[in-house]
Order: sequence, then structure tokens, then C-alpha cells
Amino acid sequence: MPIDIPKDKWPGSIRAITIGATSAEGGTRAKSITVGGQTTLPYLHFEAPTPNQPVIAIEIKSRKPEDWSPLLLETWGEAMNDSAQWAKKAEEAGAGLLVLALTVEDSVEDAVKAVKSVLAASGLPLIVWGPGQAEKDNELLVPIAEATKGEKLVLGICEDKNYRTIVATAMANGHLVQARTPMDVNLSKQLNILISDMGMPKDRILMDPTTGALGYGIEYGYSVMERLRLAALQGDAMTQFPMIVTPGFEAWKTKESKVGEGVPESWGDWKARAINWETLTAMALIESGADVVVLRHPESVKRVKDAIGELVIA
Amino acid sequence: MLRSACFVGRQTEHAPRTKVMQHTVSFTLDDKPTAVIVPTNTLLADAAHLAGIDIGQPCGGQGRCGRCAVQVTEGSVKRRSTLRLSPVDIEQGYALACQSIVEGDIAIYVPPQEKIERRLTTDRVVAEVTVPADYEYSFAQTVRRLHLTLNPPSMDDQTDDWARLQTAFRLQHQIERLTCSVGLLRKMGYVLREGDWKVTAIIETNQPADQMTARLIDLRPSHEDEYAPLWGSAIDIGTTTVTLWLVDLVTGQVRAQAAEYNGQIARGEDVVSRIIFAAKNGGGGEMRQRVLETINSLLELACKRVKSPQGKVTPDQVIKATIAGNSTMMHLLLGIPASSIRLSPFITTVNHPPSMTGRDVGLNACPEAVVDCLPGVASYVGADITSGVLSSGLDGAENVTLFLDVGTNGETVLGNRDWLVTCACSAGPAFEGAGVVNGMRATQGAIEEVWINSETLEPTYRVIGGGKPKGICGSGLISLLSEAFITGVVDKGGNVNVAASSSRVREGAHGREYVVAWGHESDSGEDIVITRVDIDNLLRAKAAIYAGFTVLAENVGIPLETTDKVLIGGSFGKYINVEKAVQIGLLPDMDWSRFEFLGNTSVKGAYLALLDWRKRERITEIAKRMTYVELSADNSFYEAFTSALFLPHTDLSKFPSVAEALESKKVDR
Repeated sequence: MPIDIPKDKWPGSIRAITIGATSAEGGTRAKSITVGGQTTLPYLHFEAPTPNQPVIAIEIKSRKPEDWSPLLLETWGEAMNDSAQWAKKAEEAGAGLLVLALTVEDSVEDAVKAVKSVLAASGLPLIVWGPGQAEKDNELLVPIAEATKGEKLVLGICEDKNYRTIVATAMANGHLVQARTPMDVNLSKQLNILISDMGMPKDRILMDPTTGALGYGIEYGYSVMERLRLAALQGDAMTQFPMIVTPGFEAWKTKESKVGEGVPESWGDWKARAINWETLTAMALIESGADVVVLRHPESVKRVKDAIGELVIA
Repeated sequence: MLRSACFVGRQTEHAPRTKVMQHTVSFTLDDKPTAVIVPTNTLLADAAHLAGIDIGQPCGGQGRCGRCAVQVTEGSVKRRSTLRLSPVDIEQGYALACQSIVEGDIAIYVPPQEKIERRLTTDRVVAEVTVPADYEYSFAQTVRRLHLTLNPPSMDDQTDDWARLQTAFRLQHQIERLTCSVGLLRKMGYVLREGDWKVTAIIETNQPADQMTARLIDLRPSHEDEYAPLWGSAIDIGTTTVTLWLVDLVTGQVRAQAAEYNGQIARGEDVVSRIIFAAKNGGGGEMRQRVLETINSLLELACKRVKSPQGKVTPDQVIKATIAGNSTMMHLLLGIPASSIRLSPFITTVNHPPSMTGRDVGLNACPEAVVDCLPGVASYVGADITSGVLSSGLDGAENVTLFLDVGTNGETVLGNRDWLVTCACSAGPAFEGAGVVNGMRATQGAIEEVWINSETLEPTYRVIGGGKPKGICGSGLISLLSEAFITGVVDKGGNVNVAASSSRVREGAHGREYVVAWGHESDSGEDIVITRVDIDNLLRAKAAIYAGFTVLAENVGIPLETTDKVLIGGSFGKYINVEKAVQIGLLPDMDWSRFEFLGNTSVKGAYLALLDWRKRERITEIAKRMTYVELSADNSFYEAFTSALFLPHTDLSKFPSVAEALESKKVDR
């Protein structure tokens, strides 16, 4: 007996947003990446196709991070000493996008140089994060935005207490911004309004609702993302932005991933566990509607990529 | 006291280049006429400037503030904007100088500035306290003054003094049963003899049930003037502010008012932290002592303020006090442990305390004075709200009415004469001027209203009493936040926009801030500022209150728009500017005429209950009728709160008038 599957039709849709500019588009990227564009909830193919696949970004840093898990240090090796080398390796590992995270030790010259060397080493579109201190972020991101005018970078991370400078320089230099709020639908919406009020075109905002790792609040993050997506589909213009989340950062913060010694034997093999943690965190978020996931380990990238392939076909 | 912002003259857009028609504009200011001739299409404000008349334009000549209203007595002008004027104003010829264009010969009357300020349609001025029309001391009061003349004792009549007094009560006033404290017995013999067996007794009767039973409150030598004042006090113990009225119970008149911050603030700003402190070793005693000190010093102050022909008024002449306050304040005043108020299932020891005496409570009033603590409803809806409902008349309203107490605990009542629901939300003390760097109570020296020029970002302000400003009170903070928001000094998230080109926007010791008054203008010599932290506190306060009443309305299933009236209580001083309260998203976006500002409704309710036992019984009825909604058990409250933590609200469609104002400004934000 044939069953008629009920289908939802939504009044709203997610904006399709393009990151990176090719030479034809005024930049130097080998290709640009488009995310978003959904007209229904994630992967309900019987209702509507997934117009753009979720994209995996790999996070690299301007300096070798001292506090990363030994597992990550081991897999990236020497490349971590040089962001251009690291970028190349990340591209080889299957990244669709790169995230370059700057550090507080970077001078303006260091930072601009690091961004330029990454852009020269890889043709992937680039997201640049400041070190996460308002003043330092602004000090570094403004000259970077000016030095890379037209590349359509994503500049981050805008938060409600510090967004004006980043948004202003992104607007002036043709870049995008990443707008992060702490796991709350209203707060996400509010920051999007503040950024739009400055005159930022709506096709140049990625929203970052913040998430937690598996076992560390992921269900809350999942729920917030789901509700943001529902609000967007119901026609709320200020939530219709693609979502970027950082499961790599979150998963590698957990004790389960970070530490291999002094933990119960029943936890099993350290490396397998750490990669599972990152992979499962990322997949749950993709299921809830993430458009860009930022990862750290190449093996996780491979697995998540495979899984995305299956999701999109199914 | 008024500062006029710098005059911004400007050309009108359509000034023709050739063959310009000339018109005569005659101004009258303070009965002095001045006339100028100007080309057609001249802005009235420019014409006034030319005539040497400086009309204040705090908003920068944008038609926002209405301060430049003048009356066209002859001829007519073209009005570009009448946003600030009511139809009646326009009918009377009023026009905004900054928005009116000269098109013919006209005569203009320039009213004194003060008059204009008070005329604004958005200002809601609190009504003066009037004695209820039906107040009749001998019928409405529970306390009474009686003259007694006793037969002096002799060797033939060795009846004891107390029995002798009781006999006189029975024979001269039909009071069969009289009770008396040991304290009064101690002074009884002296008073009777001092007055040569003529005495004045102050008694409490049991209205209306039993007129034949009485309790002796005070005994005074000789016969006092029947019309001399009998002193009573209405007291509102707010979490942040304590307000005390001294009332002549004979005439019903409020003879003095005094208010001060609650001394308990030093041990916690909100009720929860006070309860925690009180639960610590000795904390309860300290809390009780602190609030008693505040009340007793207010009592003394109020007594000093009374000019009575009968001589000096002292606190021990106060024979009746009616106290309103939230349940926590009541418990702490009475020294009752309050911990159970804070812990689930949130139970008080007592919602309706029995009648007590001044000595029991620790007031420096007459030791046997009646102390009547009004009844509350629940842990977080206390006697301040039941008395607020009484004084607002909500319990008799025909149509659905919303009552908001814009205080530290943000109590809200929705209902009419048939039903009443209530909730409370912790708003914090910001609107009472506490928890804000330069905040203060609405008293002499407080900035109560602010305008910011949208071009220069220079403020203009009005100070209560007209002197140098000492700080900013609740209405001033609302006004300031709204102006800062509309002019782009702060964004919708409340961030101070340092990119704004004004020396008044700067990085201060507490983060980014806006300077309202420079040191040389202020009373203390220090700059008066509003900081990012202050704004956060204000946002939280307004969001809690807004979320409280929206969730309450949703709970009952009544759309807010259908409420007939919004009654606002709070210690803002004399008035509140409704438009600005709407602009920051504290009040719902409704027609301004539906708002009514009542001032401190709690003390007013206590006053009514102090005077009249019928009003007192009505409060008991109100307390019984109210249904309490516990917001902490409501999932939607937090959602409503975070969405209201924005200017004016995350969902701008809820504030169409603000959306329109923003659209018309098109300020870079």
C-alpha cells in the first residue's frame, strides 16, 4: 500500500552565502565555497534537496599551539611551525575551508604575514580568527582586512561586546564576519540585528551559536541550532544565516580527548577515542543544521567527509 | 536650571532664489513684543533667533522633544511635523518652532519654558495626595481620642486608679471592656494626678464588630483639643527604598513625607541575598536593626518637617502605623526567620501578621501604638502589592487592567473586579537609582529627564529642584537610556558606541561610558556618567519587568493589547515619560493615553488603610482574591527575558512606534 509522506512547506529559507573570491571575483582563491540555501530542515530530501553540502574547515594557527593534545601535535608534526606548510597539509587532508587562528603573541606584521602566506600556500577560502581578546582582535584584524581586500575572508569572532570594529573593516574591505553568541536563540538574533544595523549586507554574515562537545552540553547546543533553523524557516530574517560551529575546539578540550594517561582502562584506546569524540560531536551538529564545522584532526575530517557524502545521497 | 543646547540654524530646502516674498513675524515673550521681517519659507526657529529670542531645542531641532512649542496667535504656519503636539494643542495654535515654516505674516506667543515641559502629552504626572472625600475620622478610624473626667479619690472612695479609669470609660463612653499594658500602668498614677483627674485617653477600638471593647494606647494629662492632630504613619518598606508618610488622623491629611534607601542594602541588594544574610548567625537581628534604624530616622525626620500650631511633633506621639512591604521585608522587620521564602516550595511564616504594638515591632512611636502590617499573598507577592492594588483601584476596574510596580521585585497584577492574577520577577534596584554608578533616589538634585541632541550628542537635562545635579534617578535613567539609544550613543544591545564623535563618549574606569554632566556642572565636581555596567543593569531590570507581564498575560490567555489601562507604580518622583519607557522596551507599545502613572502605590495603599477600616478590610479581600503565578516554574519566562534584553526588544515588530522612530532617524547605529 503506498504511503503518502506528509511534507512541510516553509515560508522562509536560509541565505546562500559565498566565502572566498576567485580571480574572476576579485580575489585569488582557486574556488569559492557556497553554504546555506536550505528551504527545509536538514537532510529531509523528500521535502527539498540539500542545495549546498556542509563544509569542513580545518583549524590551523599562526604559531605552534602549546596547549593542543599530543595526538594533534603528532599528526601535524613539523608543519605546525609554519602556517603555510600547515595550510598545505590541511588542504591535502581534505579541508574545504581553512581557519587561521591568530595568537596574542602575534604582532600586526606577523599576523598579516601569516595570513598572506596561507593565502599564497593554499587556494582554499579562508576564515581568520583573532586571538579572542577584544583589543588585540581589533588591532590585528583591521590591517589583515585591508591587506586582503576583496578576498571575501570570514573575519571573526564578533561577539556582542566587540563587533563594531570587525564589522566595519569587513564591510569596507569586502569580507564576511562570523557572529558568535553563547548558546541562546535570542542572543544569536540580537547580534545579527546589531551587525545588520551597521549596514552589513545580510549575505556576508555567518552565525556561530557556540556548542559543547559530546557529553559537555552538546544537547543544549543542538537544541539551540535546531530552534534557530526553525525560526529561520518560519520567516525570521534575522536567523536566516548559515551556521558555523567549532566541534574540533570543543572536543579536543575534553579530558577524554586531551589526556591519554591516568584515565580508566575501560576508556579504551586514546587515539580512537579522541577521534571518535571529535567525529561524533561534528556529526551531531551537522544533523542539527551546521553548515561549516571546524575540525582539528585529519582522521576526523576524513570520517566526517565520508558521512556527509552518505547524508547528502540518502 | 535649563540649559539650552547650541542653536542649530538651518536653511529650508525650498527657498526660492529670486523674488522672495517677505513676511513679518511678531514674537511676544514675557509680554515684550519683538518683530522681524523674514523671507517666505523661513524656519520659525530661525526667525526667532533673528529676533534675538533663543528657543531651546534640546533635540537639535528635529521635532523630537517638543520643547520649542510656541503658539501662533495670528496667521498660520506650515507644520512639517506635529509628532509632539496633541490635536488640542494644534487647535489652540501650538506649533514646533523647529518644524514650522513661515508662509505669511504671523504673531507668535512664546510661552515660558517650564510651562511647555509639563504640557507634553507623554508625561504622566503623579496625582497629588488628597484626603479621600468620604473620610470621617469618627467613623472610619480604629483609634479614638476620648476625654475623661474622673472623680478624685478620697478616704471615702479608695478605689484604685485603674478601676477608677475603667469606671469612667464605662460611664462616660460606654466602653465595657478595657485592656491596658503594664507600661501604661506605670505612668497611670502620675498622669491622672498631673491632669488633676482630667485626662485624654487614646484607645483602639475593634471596628466595626465590637465598639464596647477597647485597648488603651496612651493616657495624657488634661483634656486635649478635640481637633488637635492625632498622629499616624503610613510606611512602605521597599527592598530598596523606605517611604514614610506622617498623617493627621483627625483630618486625614498627609502632613509630611520622607523617603530613604533601606539600610539593609549594605547587606544585599535583592531579597534573596538579604534572606541568606539573615539566616547567618546574628544576621537576622542585624537586618531587623538596620531597617528599624531607617524607619525610625524617617519618623524623626517627618516629625521635624511638620509645622503644627500645637507645638513640636515627636515620634512618640505616633499612635498608629500601617506598614506595607513585600513578604521578605515584613519578615525581616519582625525578626521572623525568612529562609523558607527562598527555598522550594517557597512558604512564608505569615502572610497576614496579627496586630502588634510599636514596642513589639521596635518603632520609636508610642510604645502601645497600633502597628498594622498589611496582608500579602505569597512569598514573592507581599503587602506592597495588595496595598498597591487597593490604591490603584484595580480590584474595582470594569475592564482588564494591568498594574506594574516598577521596583526591585517587579510585581505585576492583571485583572479587573472579577479576577486578579499576579506574579513577581526580580528586576533589581536600577530603576530606584541603586546599582547604578551615579544613580540616586528621585529627590532634590536628581536628573529626572534627559534629552540628547542627535547631531552634537550634547545632553540637556532637568534637575529636580533646579540646582546642580547630584546624580540620576529612575525616570532620568529611563529618559537617558532612551535618548542614548535613539541618537545612536548606544546600540540595540546597549553597547556604548565609542565611534560616536563626541568627547562625552569615552573609556572610563568601569568600561565605556557617556558623560551626562561634566564636573564643573555637577554638585560634587565629579563627572556624572552612565556606564556600560549601568546600562546592563537597566536592561536586565526592564527585561525582567517586560517578561513578567508578557508571560503573565500569556498565562491568562489575554493579549496585552486588549488591556484597557496600564497603571504604573514606582518611586520615580513626580512623573514618568511614557514614550521613553516604551522606547527602551520597559512598557508595552500602546497608545500613551492608556498609561496612568500612580507613583508609590504601596505607601498610598497603606495610607488609605491607615485612615479607614473599610479600606483595610478591602486589602484583606484583595489578598484572598489574588491568584499567584510562580514564574520560576514557568519555562517561557527565561525565553521572554532574554528576548527582552535588547533595545527595545529582539522582536522589533512588538514595538511599531519605536521601529518608526528609528526608521525616521536613520542614524548610523
